[in-house]
Amino acid sequence: MKNLIVKFLVLFSIVFATTSIYANDVAKADLNKDYQSKSVAQLFGSLYESTGLNAMINPQEGLESHGVVISTFNQGWGRVIMMLICFTLFYLAIAKGFEPLLLIPIAFGGFLANIPVADIAGPEGFLGILFNMGVSTGLFPLLIFMGVGAMTDFGPLLANPKTALLGGAAQLGIFGTIVGAAFLTEYTSIINFSLKDACAIGIIGGADGPTSIFVASRLAPDLLGAIAVAAYSYMALVPIIQPPIMRALTTKEERKIKMEQLREVSQLEKIVFPITIVVLCVIMLPDATPLVGALALGNFAKESGVVKRLSDTMENSLINIVTIFLGLSVGSKLASEKFLVPETLGIIVLGLLAFSMGTAGGVIMAKIMNKFSKHKVNPLIGSAGVSAVPMAARVSNKEGMKEDPTNMLLMHAMGPNVAGVIGSAVAAGILLSIFK
Amino acid sequence: MEINLIAESLKFMVLGMSTVFSFLILMVLVLNLQAKVLNKFFSQKVKVVGIETQAKKLSKNDNNALVAAISSAIEVYKKSK
Repeated sequence: MKNLIVKFLVLFSIVFATTSIYANDVAKADLNKDYQSKSVAQLFGSLYESTGLNAMINPQEGLESHGVVISTFNQGWGRVIMMLICFTLFYLAIAKGFEPLLLIPIAFGGFLANIPVADIAGPEGFLGILFNMGVSTGLFPLLIFMGVGAMTDFGPLLANPKTALLGGAAQLGIFGTIVGAAFLTEYTSIINFSLKDACAIGIIGGADGPTSIFVASRLAPDLLGAIAVAAYSYMALVPIIQPPIMRALTTKEERKIKMEQLREVSQLEKIVFPITIVVLCVIMLPDATPLVGALALGNFAKESGVVKRLSDTMENSLINIVTIFLGLSVGSKLASEKFLVPETLGIIVLGLLAFSMGTAGGVIMAKIMNKFSKHKVNPLIGSAGVSAVPMAARVSNKEGMKEDPTNMLLMHAMGPNVAGVIGSAVAAGILLSIFK
Repeated sequence: MEINLIAESLKFMVLGMSTVFSFLILMVLVLNLQAKVLNKFFSQKVKVVGIETQAKKLSKNDNNALVAAISSAIEVYKKSK
């Protein structure tokens, strides 16, 4: 009996073992189904084919990326040129101090977006994900606006509300540039802007990064990279662009005008102000309420004085986080196939025009106001109406002190400066409402 | 139909500038009114706007002692370096 059981077990184990060995053989054959034996030379060859060097040196004819054919130039030299442009932006940001907070993430995003093969800026790459999450939806610019609201003191505007008109006149830069873009399209053969493109470019004249990105993401997503880079670069160049225009349009006497001291503004006025602005916007232009509303929310949190933690987050941590994301997303639009087009050159020229016209508009408006009002306005503060807070106000102050070192214009210039932010948000609302 | 881009953009300009101005003019009027109403009915302790006030105050009074103290402090600091 005992013997029989042992025999049976032995038999059973042999049968079982052979079947499992047979099963292992099948699994081994399956394991390498998708691989054929290669020589060492072939292995190195296929590795080379997957390198970025190969992708740039031997571009494929008619390679498609998300439905768009990329030219061989943009697969090869285009990428190298874009990377060099990004390195130039690094240089400007680090050595020259041009808006480093934005240019560093934008330029690095552009650098990453031009890497071949990896497709970081595509819908599955992390830049693409950030772009779809925050820029296509218009979310990031609004969060930035909230932080701007929490940082801005509207006191100087409340103390002398009529200086807001200077902030309005400076929006001439926006609408003048739209006309300029139409001219370029009409009279040049290589540059073609649709009316939507023209409006997205015009908003550069608002001298307000988030507003530009908000409008461009809605009206001309393909031009977003060039528009954002132009807007931030020219904002950094405000101290160079503005003074010659300001001096050309004013006389020595006008630059010496001393403005009366600003009145005192109560805390209550400051608390009510953001609500007033939103109500005005609701009545006149609901299209501008996302921008103005976010600005007002930030400012309300700041001025209410009871939610220090929230306003602190908005003006520090939140705006910093969103700045990183926004910069990288904008950078993803610096891929060569989108940036190295004749339109970019047009945008750069038009952006300069936009800033110059805005500056001139503000200064001229101040001179017109002086004709009708007995409270004189120093025309130098008009240029601050282009927004670019607080750089433009500092430029006004500096120019004023050049003529008369005792003339402090900074606080007076902050009025049109913050009004310019509201003015460009309103202008953005108008442009968006046209194409509804 | 072909759209005349320039005519169209000029129309945008008229629309845009007039809306921006009417918005801001309305804002100026409302803010002036608001300031009057608030200051009349709710007088509060007020905050001073403008950085000139302190500088002016300092330069108005002849603070010779203060100036002397500051300049001697600077002198000491420079020597210590």
